[in-house]
Amino acid sequence: MIGTEYYIALSAIIFSIGTVGVLSRRSAIMVFLSIELMLNAANLAMVAFARAWASEGALAAMNGQAAVFIILAIAAAEVAVGLGILVAIFRYRETTELDLLSEMRL
Amino acid sequence: MIALAAYAPLIALVGALINGIFGRNLKEPLPGYIASAAVFAAFVLSVMAFFGLQGQEHGSNVQLWQYLSAGNFKLNLAFNIDHLAVIMMMIITGVGFLIHIYSIAYMHNDSGFSRYFSFLNLFIASMLILVMADSFPLMFIGWEGVGVCSFLLIGFWYGIKANADAARKAFIVNRIGDFGFLLAMFLTYKVFGTLNIADMLGHIQVARVLPAGLTAIALLYLLAAMGKSAQMPLHVWLPDAMAGPTPVSALIHAATMVTAGVYLIARIAPLFAASPSASMVVAWVGLITAFVAAFIALSQTDIKRILAYSTLSQLGYMFVALGCGAYWVAIFHVFTHAFFKALLFLTSGSVIHAMGGEQDVEKMGGLHKYMKLTSITAFIGTLAIAGVPFLSGFFSKDAILAHAFTTTLAPVALNYIAYIILLVTAVMTAFYMMRWYYLVFLGKERLSKEAKAHVHESPSLMTMPLGVLAFLSVVAGYFGLPEFLAKNQFASWLENSIEVDISFGHPPVWLEWTLILISVAAAAIGLGLAYWVYSRKKSKAMLRISNSAIAKFSQSGAGFDGFYNAGIIKPAEETAEGLALLDAEVLDTGLSSLALGVGLFAGLMRKIQTGYIRFYALAMALGFAVLVILAAFWGKLS
Amino acid sequence: MLSFVILAVLLIAGSIGVVSLKQPVHAALSLVASLMTLAIVYISLEAHFLAGIQVIVYAGAIMVLFLFVIMLLNVQEQKENKFAWMKPAAYIVGALTAIGLVANILQSPTPALNAELIDTIIAGGTAEGVAQVLFNQFVLGFQLVGVLLLTGIVGATSLVQRKAEIAKIEEDLANA
Repeated sequence: MIGTEYYIALSAIIFSIGTVGVLSRRSAIMVFLSIELMLNAANLAMVAFARAWASEGALAAMNGQAAVFIILAIAAAEVAVGLGILVAIFRYRETTELDLLSEMRL
Repeated sequence: MIALAAYAPLIALVGALINGIFGRNLKEPLPGYIASAAVFAAFVLSVMAFFGLQGQEHGSNVQLWQYLSAGNFKLNLAFNIDHLAVIMMMIITGVGFLIHIYSIAYMHNDSGFSRYFSFLNLFIASMLILVMADSFPLMFIGWEGVGVCSFLLIGFWYGIKANADAARKAFIVNRIGDFGFLLAMFLTYKVFGTLNIADMLGHIQVARVLPAGLTAIALLYLLAAMGKSAQMPLHVWLPDAMAGPTPVSALIHAATMVTAGVYLIARIAPLFAASPSASMVVAWVGLITAFVAAFIALSQTDIKRILAYSTLSQLGYMFVALGCGAYWVAIFHVFTHAFFKALLFLTSGSVIHAMGGEQDVEKMGGLHKYMKLTSITAFIGTLAIAGVPFLSGFFSKDAILAHAFTTTLAPVALNYIAYIILLVTAVMTAFYMMRWYYLVFLGKERLSKEAKAHVHESPSLMTMPLGVLAFLSVVAGYFGLPEFLAKNQFASWLENSIEVDISFGHPPVWLEWTLILISVAAAAIGLGLAYWVYSRKKSKAMLRISNSAIAKFSQSGAGFDGFYNAGIIKPAEETAEGLALLDAEVLDTGLSSLALGVGLFAGLMRKIQTGYIRFYALAMALGFAVLVILAAFWGKLS
Repeated sequence: MLSFVILAVLLIAGSIGVVSLKQPVHAALSLVASLMTLAIVYISLEAHFLAGIQVIVYAGAIMVLFLFVIMLLNVQEQKENKFAWMKPAAYIVGALTAIGLVANILQSPTPALNAELIDTIIAGGTAEGVAQVLFNQFVLGFQLVGVLLLTGIVGATSLVQRKAEIAKIEEDLANA
């Protein structure tokens, strides 16, 4: 049986790769894609912990899996809204390049 | 039954809120009736508490809730309804109710009608809190509350600059006294470790405090009392306070608020009884005030100013009583003075109302035949304050004179000097009051044409309170007959609250009678002299006693205002101008260069804020990376 | 152990593809591959229900939405890059984060696993096991997620609506 720490380490690596994506991609949609990757890394850690908590009883252990289920549902809603925003921005600005969307500085 | 009285301030406060918030939308007499009803309810509660206290030795302490708690220091919103407080409550709400009724007619057609009643109710609430408070901070809340109401009501017609100035003057001079109160509270807490009045007084009797400490605390409380009760040299605000509506002068600046200082000292009487030197200062402050104010009152020409100086003088009497250790006598004089001084102010309000706003006594005279009821009640008030036998002022003033004569708190012989000064003051009191009455109601008519067309007796809503107050001015004195004639109800009632052990000399009965005869003679001399002087001098120019320097000195208010202007206000203004120059030249340049430096630095920092979201994300990720690296290789962060 | 290594290599390779492939469609497909691999990892972690959900919802629904939008907008990253140094910086920061996190994880001890206990308690992570928690302990959260999804649908619809349509609706409202 593979130890929990390996799964967590794998999760950390995926998370870091996702971070690289967020930082290096210039298109908003690609950044969004990378964020999904990071979200899944977190899910992986959660499932691994659920297995590690088996000794605490079924209710405590299954908390982790139930949380992943909820995160999945929220991710679905987030993607729908996020892509909706992107489409709206694209219509208005004809681009999704982040460097061209710098309006935080007045 | 007693505990119910704790809600009296709340009722008045609710009245104030109703009038303050909805008053604008109410038709004219309604706010007046609401306010009067609130005060009447408070009066009923006070009377219930009074009967509840019959035969009881201790007052009732009502804990409402704890509003301050810091470590060991706790302050409760608690009311101490005892024999002393209940007397004050009945004066405040009783006289207050009559004045509310009077005001409904007096303030008729005023644009600030509901605002006026809102302030008046707020005043009643604050004053009740002041007298019922069981701790100094709560008393201070009421103390400041009445100060604010006084400010608001003096400047009630704030459209005129003189009124607004008078209001500010009252407020600023009162601040000096409040400052004394605050320092006294600090020192009380430091020395006694409590701010609860009863606890503090209990500690005095255990007497672990140095006499010097007691005297310091007592003198600071005296400063507070001097500010609120307008004792010299902090009296200058009271004559100017007459800028407010006349019923306000009657309620706040004669009957109730200005007696708060007397009440404060009576409330903490054991402190003063334990410190003879502080008591002596109290007595001297009172003596000087009583004498000088009476002297100033001799030559004033404003109908209300005469009464204002008379109030000062009477407050001086009360302070003398306090200084002599005769605390019940001081409260007794508060009690009788509340009735006859409120009566005098209300009659002068009635006159001003009838004359269409005229306040100069030189333009009055002979009003008796136009307004008989006002004139008769004013005459009763005049006789009462002058000390004519069988009226209330006679008993209380005589008690003060007798106690000043027999006190053992003052060093030997000093009490005789005090007695003589008070006697002279009594003659002057009778003189200026007769002068006031004669110039207004008797003698030749000196009315202007408009005033003559306007003059009329006031409506019954105004004369009714006059009648009630006149009745009370006559009978109030019988509660405190001299000890050798009958049992003194007032003193034995207050003994339950004011527990001090001060002995007075017991002169033989023939001497007591002599003292009484002397004060009767003083009143008779004063009244007779004034009548003789003013009925002989008919021409207008002779209204003043003479044009001598001493008369001018009296007329100018003994030069206090001039002295303050030259000695305090002018130097303060000059210092302020100098500081303004310093501010503009030195501080501003320094500050603007500092601001310039901040601006430059901000411009530098602004470069980091690119507005590109990737930069922010990179910064965040970098921070996270550094954190985890540190945690991994240089030990746990926690 | 071998299966874990294979899965891990596949997952990492897919992830690197997501962040490095030039063509957005390729990157998205690479993400689909990663998510599928992740589903297999879930199976190895005894979370069978979640593995199924992962395939259906993530790899199926969400990624289809992504591909749809990418194709709709015809996203292409521009040639000119104002901040060329950003890319190496991102890789360095990412590497540092990975090193730091992994070092932290390997330093902290994890309790040994009891295979029998896991088999009885997790019981393969069935829908029933997840539902036991979801409909008891997390029932309020479950409801709120439902509300959130509904809000998301309405929000997305209104965001994507064409301006002309919005103007028409506003006009109708003004006339009504």
